[in-house]
Order: sequence, then structure tokens, then C-alpha cells
Amino acid sequence: MNVVEINEVYKTYHDTEVEVKAVNGVTLSFRKGDFAVIVGPSGSGKTTLLNLIGGLDQPTAGEILVAGHRLSELKPSELIDFRMEHVGFVFQSYNLIPVLTAAENVGFIMSLQKWPKEKRMARTGELLEAVGLADRHNSRPSQLSGGQQQRVAVARALAPRPEFILADEPTANLDSKSAETLLDIMEKLNREEEMTFIFSTHDVRVMKRARRVITLEDGKVVSDERTNHTA
Amino acid sequence: MITSIAWKNVWRNRTRSLTVIAAVTVGVFASVFALAAINSSVVQRIDSAVNEELSHIQVNTKDFRSSNDILSLIPEPEKVAGILRNTPGVTDVTGRIIVRGMASTPAGSAGMEITGIDTAREKEMFTLYRKLIPGTGSYFGADTRLNSAYIGEKLARELYIIRFILTPESFSGLEAKGVPAAVIEKLKPLESVRFTTEKKLTEAYGGLLTPKEIKKYGLSIREAAWSYREGSRIILSFLDVNGNQTGAAFRISGIFRTNNDLFEATSVFVPMEELRRLTGLEDGVYHRFIARLEENDITDRVTPVLKEALPGLEVMNWKEIQVDLAMIADYINQIYAIFMVLILAALAFGIVNTMLMAVLERTRELGMLSAVGMNRRRVFLMIMLESVFLSVVGGFAGMVVSGIVIGITGRTGINLVKYSEGMEALGYSAHLYPTIGTDFFIILTVLIVLTGILSAVYPARKALQLNPVEALRGE
Repeated sequence: MNVVEINEVYKTYHDTEVEVKAVNGVTLSFRKGDFAVIVGPSGSGKTTLLNLIGGLDQPTAGEILVAGHRLSELKPSELIDFRMEHVGFVFQSYNLIPVLTAAENVGFIMSLQKWPKEKRMARTGELLEAVGLADRHNSRPSQLSGGQQQRVAVARALAPRPEFILADEPTANLDSKSAETLLDIMEKLNREEEMTFIFSTHDVRVMKRARRVITLEDGKVVSDERTNHTA
Repeated sequence: MITSIAWKNVWRNRTRSLTVIAAVTVGVFASVFALAAINSSVVQRIDSAVNEELSHIQVNTKDFRSSNDILSLIPEPEKVAGILRNTPGVTDVTGRIIVRGMASTPAGSAGMEITGIDTAREKEMFTLYRKLIPGTGSYFGADTRLNSAYIGEKLARELYIIRFILTPESFSGLEAKGVPAAVIEKLKPLESVRFTTEKKLTEAYGGLLTPKEIKKYGLSIREAAWSYREGSRIILSFLDVNGNQTGAAFRISGIFRTNNDLFEATSVFVPMEELRRLTGLEDGVYHRFIARLEENDITDRVTPVLKEALPGLEVMNWKEIQVDLAMIADYINQIYAIFMVLILAALAFGIVNTMLMAVLERTRELGMLSAVGMNRRRVFLMIMLESVFLSVVGGFAGMVVSGIVIGITGRTGINLVKYSEGMEALGYSAHLYPTIGTDFFIILTVLIVLTGILSAVYPARKALQLNPVEALRGE
């Protein structure tokens, strides 16, 4: 079953007099349970493609279907709700809310979705345990290491049970050990919760773990390989 | 959750938020306190005007105020008094006879209005007797002779009834007040020298003390030297009903000190019987009736009723007699409004600036919030709440400080004696007892919250204009 379908998508930026085709006629689909990475040199269009899939940006042409929603047909306010309901985001620089504790950060999107408090707390506890931070419920982001913050960010993204997780360079700011721990956790969640992960990365450690590697160059897909690696 | 985040965001940059809150607190306090001081000044002035000088309503013939004709008497006084007493809202009525005349002593003379009063009745109705300077008499006591006069301090000075002498007792008093022995020693050459005016005394000690000592102890020295010989007399002269010059010596039954120099300089009160005897005015006739009302607020309502009931007479309330004071009393609301606008404008600028900085600093975070599904309404609400919290905390602190300081100074008073000459010439007290209505506090609270909300609109709109993709990319 396809979670995401991308058909002939273009994204063009007009930078003063120069027209930049960040995404140039991409057609792709992602199945439920995919653990896929989008790789490519800087400026190849990885982040732009991720933003389009996540409904953060609209394509210049083509269409993207996520869980039956044609994103180009959604109004800006509907796109916000769409992102809250269907997409989990993990950012390169963690982007946790600094004034909230780890548990409050994990529960944040669930509270936006008005989950009952008990259910929300149970899910928060379950996820913090899953990412190995059961003892850091009350720690503020400033009291956590980069790796721990990124694990909280993963737990936050997973909390409302989205259709898939978009992770933009999630290991870029982490040391080797933290990156391996994070990837272990993501693989485990992918396996146990059948959560779809779509990464953009330069990191070979992430590529090695991926079961699908999509290579972009100048906004075009130049290869799309499924590997034998099993989580 | 949004409320909780907004509150926590306020304390994210503790120093900045505390600085803004402190600025709001000081601004609100300064404005409220200044307003309370102005308000007290006006309230005290109105209180003095009504309770010591004018009463609420005065009734006389239509030409009496301009002609001062001794024969311009109120016709059918019993009937007029009855109408006044039976008018709803009127609590007390008394009659007065009033003549223009001269007061003189061997040393000086001055023109003034001599008012014959029912001494016992006026003591019940007015508080002028409370303004008696201790040691100058007893107002009109039971044992006071008929030919007694209650006069103002300003007049007493003009007639040189008050002198300035530094006696051994004065020096002891100065010592008790903490004036250094060295300063007292310097003043010793002035001991027992009689100065006819305060100015002469000031000039004398001015040559002995340093400017710093004069500034620090001048007022105490003048107060210590203030001297009055009990039982002093003045000659009051005026025209009788036949137009003949008449007059008599009156013993001073007391000297009053109010905040109104003009009133003090031009008013002499004497027992009505004595003035009737000297002028030849019959019993039961009056130049003016004075009416007191249940409360000052009903003055504007009762006045037209009396004007209609007494069409042949001049009925004037204190606002019509002292137009300048009435104007200030009426403008106090406009002054309130101006102060409120100033308070709130300062508050708004502070909040807008702080919130704008907060939004611009948190671009990436706001981008993230939008990315993960926090809609525009919630982002707007969050920024709005942060602004309201800042305003409310600062505003509330400002009002608490104002409340405490106004409460304390309202009891102890603020001494502006240094500026008393100018203030008292205008009838305003040099001792202010700041006061402000509860309604002002309530209105200000509501307006502070509203200002907080309005101040957040621009920063919140800035936050809403952020594109999540660009915001996430931003540093």
C-alpha cells in the first residue's frame, strides 16, 4: 500500500533573474513501512522534495498524494491540519521547544490534537522508554545532549501516530555513537510500529541502514535502489 | 498547553522580561501616583471650598453680589428658608448678614468682607472652626464676648497682629526639632528682636546663616518665631443701614489658617447679633442663606430645583461661584483620560518592542510549530497571551505599588511646604493626601489587558507571516 505518491512533480524558484529547478519532474512512491533515504549532493533538491512531501511547500507542477489527500488542493490552513494529522517531522537541529520538558515536547502535538491527558501521558511514557529516555521526562532540552534531544524529537514526531516520518539530515549534528543509537531506535520503531521513515541525508551511516536509496541530482531522480539490508 | 507555553515563554529571557515588567511597573506607578496627587489636590480644594468657604449653595438677592448694598436683603426670609429646608437633598440652612468694610490696627489696615454668623449653627455646618491655629483663641466659645472676630492668618499678618520673635522658648523648640546647636548659636543675636513681617525675619537670619542652613532650617525658624499675643484687637469699620460710618473694636477670638490666601485675607467672621447691633439691621433679616446638601454629587441636581423655586433670587452653587475650581473639577476626568492614554501608550510601545524581538528571535521555532501543525489561530493566541502576561504582571505590580504608596501617603500626606506660597495663593493645600477611586483601578486594569492584547497584534501578525520553510532555514 502506497503512503505517498509523487507524480511528475516540479518545483521552480525564481532567484532574481535565474530560474532554479529544485525538483525537476520527480515521480516516486513510498510504501507503508519503507525505510528510505534520499541522497544527493548539496543543492540536488533533497530538502525541497521532503518539504513538498510534508506539505510545507507546494509544487510548481505535478501532484502529490498522501493518504488519499491531493496536497495541491488543500488550503494553507488545511495543510497545517494535514501536517499535524499525517506527518511527523524530525529536523536537523532538533527544534524542540526550549521551555518545555522532554515529556511535554513529546506530548505537544498530541495536546494540539486534544488527546485526553491520560492517553497522552501513557503514549509519552511509552515513547520516551522506546527512545531510551524513560528517566529524562522532566529534563529541559538544554539539559539533554544533542543525541538525546534528537531522540526526543523522534518521539515527538511518532507520538500522534502519523502516516510517515520525514527526517531531514537527522544525524548531521550528532557524533557517531549518538547517530548509531538514534538509527537503532528508528529501525526498531520502523520494525515494531511499521512506521514509514523517509530521510534526506549525506550520512553514509544512514545510507547503510536504509532499505531503499533514492539518489537525486539537479532535482531529478537518477537512481532508486532497494537494498537487501533488513532492519 | 498554549497558555502554559506562553507563560513559560515570558520567562525564557528572564532579564528582558523583568526589565519590561519593571518599566511597566514604574510607568504605571508614576502615572497613577501623580494622578492620585493631582486628584487629591483638587478633592482637597473642593472640600475646603465647600466645607470652609462657600458651602454647596448660596442664595441672595440678584444684585447683592455686585452691589454689596446693605439694604439688599432677602425678601420674606422665613419663607425662603422654609423652601430651602424642604427641598430634597438639603440638610442644613443658615442665614448670614454681610457688609463690606475695613479692618485696622495701629500698624495696618485692609479692606474685607465682614460676615455676621450664627456661631453655634455654623460650627455644626462647617469645618472652618477646625482651622483655628492653636494658641490664637477658641473660635466662638460659650464665654466669647459678642465683639469678637475670627480672622484669617493672612489678614492677621497684614494687620501686623502676628509678629515674629525668636524667644528662648523658640530656641528650645528648634533644638527639639533637631536644628544643630551651631545654627542656634548663630541665631542668638536675633533673640527677642521683634519682626513685623516674615520677610524681615528672613532677611535678618539670611545674613547670619549659610544658604544651605537657610534652605534646611528656614521653615523651622519661621515657624518657631511665629508669635501672636492672645486677645489682640482690631477695629472693624463699615456703613450702617443709614449710610453712616460705624464700627467698633473687636477682640480676636481666633485666627484660622486655610489653604486659600485670598479667603484668609478678605474674610472676617463676627457674631451676627453684634453686627446687627452695629449696622442697625433688624432681627430675622439676612443678606444670604447658605445651604448644605447631603452630598456634593447632588449639587448639579438640586441647584436647578432651587432656582425654579426661588425665581426672584440669585441661587448659585459653589461651581458657579468658583468657576475656575468647577472647571478643574470637571476637567479632572479629561486629565484622567490623558494620563491613562500616556500610561497605556508607554506600555504599548514597551510591549510591542519586546514582543517583536521575541518573535524575530524565535523565527525557527515558530517555523517548527507551524510545520508540526500549530495553526495560525494558536500561534496568534500564544503571542497574544505572552503580551498580555507581560502587561498584566507589570500593570498589576504597578498598581499594587501605587496602592501601597497611595495608602501610606494618603495617611501621612506629602509635604510640599517649600512650594506652599504659590499653591496656597491659588487655594490649594501644600499638604497633599493622594487619593484615587477604586473605579479608576478597575478601569485601568481592563485597559492594561486590552493594551496588552492590542500591542500583540503587530508582532503576532509578523509571526503569522512567517513561511515555515524559510523560518526553519533561518538562524
